[in-house]
Amino acid sequence: MSDYGVLLQQVVNGLSLGAMYALLALGFTLVYGILELINFAHFNVFMVSSFVGMWALEFLGISGQSHVLTGLALAGTLAFAFAVTMIAAGVLGVAIERLSLRPLRGVRGTAAMITTIGVSYILFNVILLTVGAGSENYPNPLPVVRWQLGEVTLELKELLIWGVAVALMVALHFFVSRTRLGKAMRATAQDAEAARMMGVDVDRVIVTAFFLGSALAGAAALIFGLYYNYTSFIIGYTAGLRAFTAAVLGGIGSIPGAMVGGLLIGLIETLGGQLIAVRWTDVIIFSILVLVLVFVPTGLLGRSAPTKS
Amino acid sequence: MAELEKPLIRIAAPLFARISPRLRARLGIVLVTTAALLFPLVNQNDADIDSAANALAFAALALGLNIVVGFAGLLDLGYAAFFAIGAYAYGVASSWQLQPQWSGFWEPFQWLDFVTRFHTAGADVVHFQVSFWLMLPVAAAIAAFFGVLFGAPTLRLKGDYLAIVTLGFGEIVPIVARNTPSVTNGAMGLNGVAAPQLFGYNFGVDATPYYYVGVALVAFLILISQRLKDSRIGRAWMAIREDEIAAAAMGVDRVRFKLLAFAIGAAFAGATGTFYVAKLQTATPEMFMFPVSVMVLVMIVFGGIGSVWGVVVGALVLQILQSWFLEDLSQWLHALGRLVNIDWLQRVELASSIELIFGLILVLMMLYRREGLIPASRPVPALTVNEQTAQAVRGGFSGLPDLGAVDHDAQGPLLDITDLTVRFGGLVALRSVELSVPAHAVVAVIGPNGSGKSTLFNAVTGFLPAHRGNIRFVGEEIGRLPPHAVLERGIARTFQNIRLFPNLTVAENVMIGMHARLDIGPLGALLRLPKTRREEAASRERALEILSLFGNRLLPRVDHLAASLSYANRRRTEIARALASQPKLLLLDEPTAGMNPAETLELADQIKSLNRFGLTILLIEHKLDVVVSLADKVVVLDHGEKIAEGTPDAVRRDEAVIGAYLGRSAAFARV
Amino acid sequence: MLSRRSLIIHLSTTALVGAVAVRAQPAAATDKTAKIGINLPFTGADAHDAELIKDGAMLAIDEANAQGGVAGYKIEVLQLDDGTATAGQYDPAQAATNARKMVSDKEVVAAIGPQMSGSGKAMSPILSQGDLATITPSSTNPDITDPKFAGQYRPKGKAIYFRTVTTDAFQGPNMANFYADTLKVNSVYVLDDSGAYGVGISDTFQAQAEKRGIKVLGRDQLNPREADYTTTLTKIKSLNPDALYYGGVAQAGVKVVKQSYDIIPKVLKGGGDGCYGAEILRGASFPAAEGWYATIAAPNVLENPEAAPTIERFVKKYGLQPENYSITAYDAALVILDAIKRVATSGKEVTRGAVRDAIQTAHVKTLQGEVTFDDNGDVQNRVISVFRIVKDDKYPLDDVLHQYKYIGVAPQSS
Repeated sequence: MSDYGVLLQQVVNGLSLGAMYALLALGFTLVYGILELINFAHFNVFMVSSFVGMWALEFLGISGQSHVLTGLALAGTLAFAFAVTMIAAGVLGVAIERLSLRPLRGVRGTAAMITTIGVSYILFNVILLTVGAGSENYPNPLPVVRWQLGEVTLELKELLIWGVAVALMVALHFFVSRTRLGKAMRATAQDAEAARMMGVDVDRVIVTAFFLGSALAGAAALIFGLYYNYTSFIIGYTAGLRAFTAAVLGGIGSIPGAMVGGLLIGLIETLGGQLIAVRWTDVIIFSILVLVLVFVPTGLLGRSAPTKS
Repeated sequence: MAELEKPLIRIAAPLFARISPRLRARLGIVLVTTAALLFPLVNQNDADIDSAANALAFAALALGLNIVVGFAGLLDLGYAAFFAIGAYAYGVASSWQLQPQWSGFWEPFQWLDFVTRFHTAGADVVHFQVSFWLMLPVAAAIAAFFGVLFGAPTLRLKGDYLAIVTLGFGEIVPIVARNTPSVTNGAMGLNGVAAPQLFGYNFGVDATPYYYVGVALVAFLILISQRLKDSRIGRAWMAIREDEIAAAAMGVDRVRFKLLAFAIGAAFAGATGTFYVAKLQTATPEMFMFPVSVMVLVMIVFGGIGSVWGVVVGALVLQILQSWFLEDLSQWLHALGRLVNIDWLQRVELASSIELIFGLILVLMMLYRREGLIPASRPVPALTVNEQTAQAVRGGFSGLPDLGAVDHDAQGPLLDITDLTVRFGGLVALRSVELSVPAHAVVAVIGPNGSGKSTLFNAVTGFLPAHRGNIRFVGEEIGRLPPHAVLERGIARTFQNIRLFPNLTVAENVMIGMHARLDIGPLGALLRLPKTRREEAASRERALEILSLFGNRLLPRVDHLAASLSYANRRRTEIARALASQPKLLLLDEPTAGMNPAETLELADQIKSLNRFGLTILLIEHKLDVVVSLADKVVVLDHGEKIAEGTPDAVRRDEAVIGAYLGRSAAFARV
Repeated sequence: MLSRRSLIIHLSTTALVGAVAVRAQPAAATDKTAKIGINLPFTGADAHDAELIKDGAMLAIDEANAQGGVAGYKIEVLQLDDGTATAGQYDPAQAATNARKMVSDKEVVAAIGPQMSGSGKAMSPILSQGDLATITPSSTNPDITDPKFAGQYRPKGKAIYFRTVTTDAFQGPNMANFYADTLKVNSVYVLDDSGAYGVGISDTFQAQAEKRGIKVLGRDQLNPREADYTTTLTKIKSLNPDALYYGGVAQAGVKVVKQSYDIIPKVLKGGGDGCYGAEILRGASFPAAEGWYATIAAPNVLENPEAAPTIERFVKKYGLQPENYSITAYDAALVILDAIKRVATSGKEVTRGAVRDAIQTAHVKTLQGEVTFDDNGDVQNRVISVFRIVKDDKYPLDDVLHQYKYIGVAPQSS
């Protein structure tokens, strides 16, 4: 492989990684935009959802990567798996909001964020103590198809990631900008008090935000499993940290920011790994984040600083 | 058990209640200290003493994080980084890791006993063996340096962004430790970290001496925390935590104090790192990762954020829960399981569920007891009926204590604003505004909503930059100064939406007003020299003096939290706080908003008496009768421009003013 | 009237009293018992392996007890966990505390464990101080028994950290010899999982590979918590080495196996004993795992027909397949039981000092052959066995015994 070829391949890798981070960051930023709350539990909702997706596929009789389906059967299976995973994730998110965050609405300071750390620990340890610490081989009905474009190898699963990520982002954008509920969400994000006075059911908006955000995490989780053929109790940790960084880099609360941030982090990861070394990836990513925040304290595409401080 | 306890309580309680709270606290401390010192003699089990020593290390960490998060309100999610820095500082300075070639350069260090010359098969090498006792403060200093380094980029960031940046540093430090094996031996961990020596006695692997060092360390750090908390430094931190804007407006240099909090918090962790590694005699990067930072956070949340003893108790309880109690409880459950023949009970291991338990603790504490086990604020006695009622009194203040307002008999206006323009992106909030406030005058600024009045105040007090124009105060250009410097020059303000420090008492709120006029630094606070104690006592007295201006309204509530006051009383406290800073010019932003007519008149009289005693006043008001009675000069703003200026009567009749308030013709409907 | 406040006080008092009471219970001291401590990371990422190791040791101990004990001594076990949830795996600080617990308990005469070398480093000085010998079935970092560090790890001088497994001082280099001699590899890329074990074994492999003339095209560290290794693997692909060597445990290993199958299918792949085990088979599965080489720091026991009855008993008792380190744990237990027997039958009191001396002079026939120790505590039979994963459809796909095909002994360095 030529130098140019390997760089191009790393760009392709980076865009796939980035799409996954973007999806995860999107759900996280949605909640933040409305509540100005850092929801640490988001990333372990992601992890739990990947197990749900795995069980859904196993329920359909698929195990390992040797049960390959095509055509309508594949589409139907994937649709089922996505539906189950996303709904389960959404329900889990709403449950977390209801049980642990609603009572804290209006409490200033870090109480709500600390609660999400607690919930995150609970989810993490429930899986660790029940399913165990092992790596799970993910059931995957996708056929392995590769295309060779010059020196770059492209796989079907990469098209899957990009396709689903783009579709979901477009759908989210449409929802937020065109529908009534979406408009209500934007209004609440800017000024909850005023929105309430204009007749917006703020409770419903918040529940919707949690449901949607968690559902996006669920989609990301299923994609993760299908892409890596793997899941385990630990996947929320690093993916979460990177997605969190992506959201902040792009400006927390900004939907386009999450997308941009995600792609950027993905590219930094792969190009940094290629040109420097993989063991320095985290240091590179965080250094870039700190630099960006020093000069642009609200992130690349962020709005004005959070008002609650 | 209840039957036994009732008579005991009946006898003990009245005795207990007769001891004054102060003596009670002292007695408590003596009891705890004695118990701590006697513990290893009572329980000779080396493993238990070792667990206790580990618990003490975490208590020290909790104290340090308490300064950053609890006192100063800076959410640090990467605190373990400083723990790591202190640990590796000692580890490298006192192990076999670094072995540079011997040369003459090292001789003075050998004389100081920092290094020895070691013969190897090849050439002679340097062996580092810096004393543990020396490294304790040195590692603390190194960590403090990094505290400033890591804190500096976060200064402009608001709460949540600050959290992610600190989390980032918390991730970076162990990774750097792992990736630099030449210095740290990377993932395999340091070999041969030296145990401390005291007068020739080597600590070795016996847990007891480490335990006592731990007790001493925690006691020392408690002392430092307590002293800092009850000083000007602690108040400044808490002001920043409660309301950064108000803190700056009251003269607190936010940058300096935030960095100070980071530095001192880091120093605590650095010293603890040295202690921990000396005991374990190895250090690996895995010991300092994100879960450790979270665990310390859980401990301070559990124990009571901001409360010094609370976080110590929280840390000790959770550590001991992990190492003793849960194991014993597991054994107990096993026995129970055998008794009732339930299989999973016999096999359950609670120790491995400790993180699940931590998570549950966090959630439950946040939902049901946010203040933690030992809350930081103390309960206050209820008020008597007399104390609760107050009548509006006319006539203003009598017998005003020396406010320190300088007699300004130089020529020219006290505050002179020329051609002031302030923009927010494309929106021009103030356009070429000219305003001069003569010394000893009362000037009122009026205008419809959105005309730029508060923006004017924000520009004068340094919260907004001016796009163009000059602001001169006593002849000095102050347009570029940060808010705390503006306060130092002599301009104090109140806010339209009242910005008090809600979780601090009335007295503390007012004492923060004095921040810029005292000069006790951290060292002074720590040493509690007589001079410091005198200054502290004097400042509290002064606060009470100023509060007594408002008669019965504030004095009975001196130790009540500001959040518990009525709206009008909060306004009065805010004014008292501003007065405490000995201003020459007082900026009042709608001071009578929300007051009933009687209270309004009372406050108007009080403002007038302040002016009579030398204070210059610049006032934003909507109530035109107040304006008429108080103001020497009235300035009218509309849409960011000055549209009229003059005596109250003249302005009242001005056509432009009437048009601005009552509306122009329908064709020019306002936005 | 029971206010909420007093309820809290009551509960906490009860809890405190209960705790103290339970702690204060004296251990029921029956005569003629000897306690063996077992310290393994039962919490976190290595819990599964820890269980299998414990099962191996317990098989030997339970069998001895079933026959009336050893020289009349009933064997009791003190089981300790050096894994913590905070670390997510073994925790050196917890290991140190456990070492103290074992030393404090006067009835403990010997110990089995730890599993991980990081724990061993923290435990060894304390055990040496307490003259309590331990035999580890799986800790392979050479530093702990290296005479160079004797002052640090055995301050009292005598060997205290015994092993029924050999060290990475041999496991890494012998595999490099295998790569050079048998696989005829000319260029290699080395990866590790940034853990103490992985870095150590990759370092020794790399040093020997370079000595043998294999070109090391690069070396990088993986983060076991990350999911995506495509960056590194793409980089490796562009460098086009003959072979890949992965030093590390299964947490990252599974992902390396899976993803390298996608990206560099033609490259020869191998690793240390972290690549040997059911975790790899279950997590990576076939076809990804096919063809991977793995080593263990012990002779191949599972296929030895003499071991078959023991393995059968293991499977019967636990319903699980043993791994090779279950066997080395079984052997470790045999050595301790033999030592106790020899001390008791010689008429001396069964103290930990006597047991340690007996272990030092052991000549025990075990499943891996005869076990003897050198002055440092290392086992003298330094055999590294090489395996290759070859799919055998007749058996379950996570059956370690049948999916790993024994290739032979890795060549010793000259």
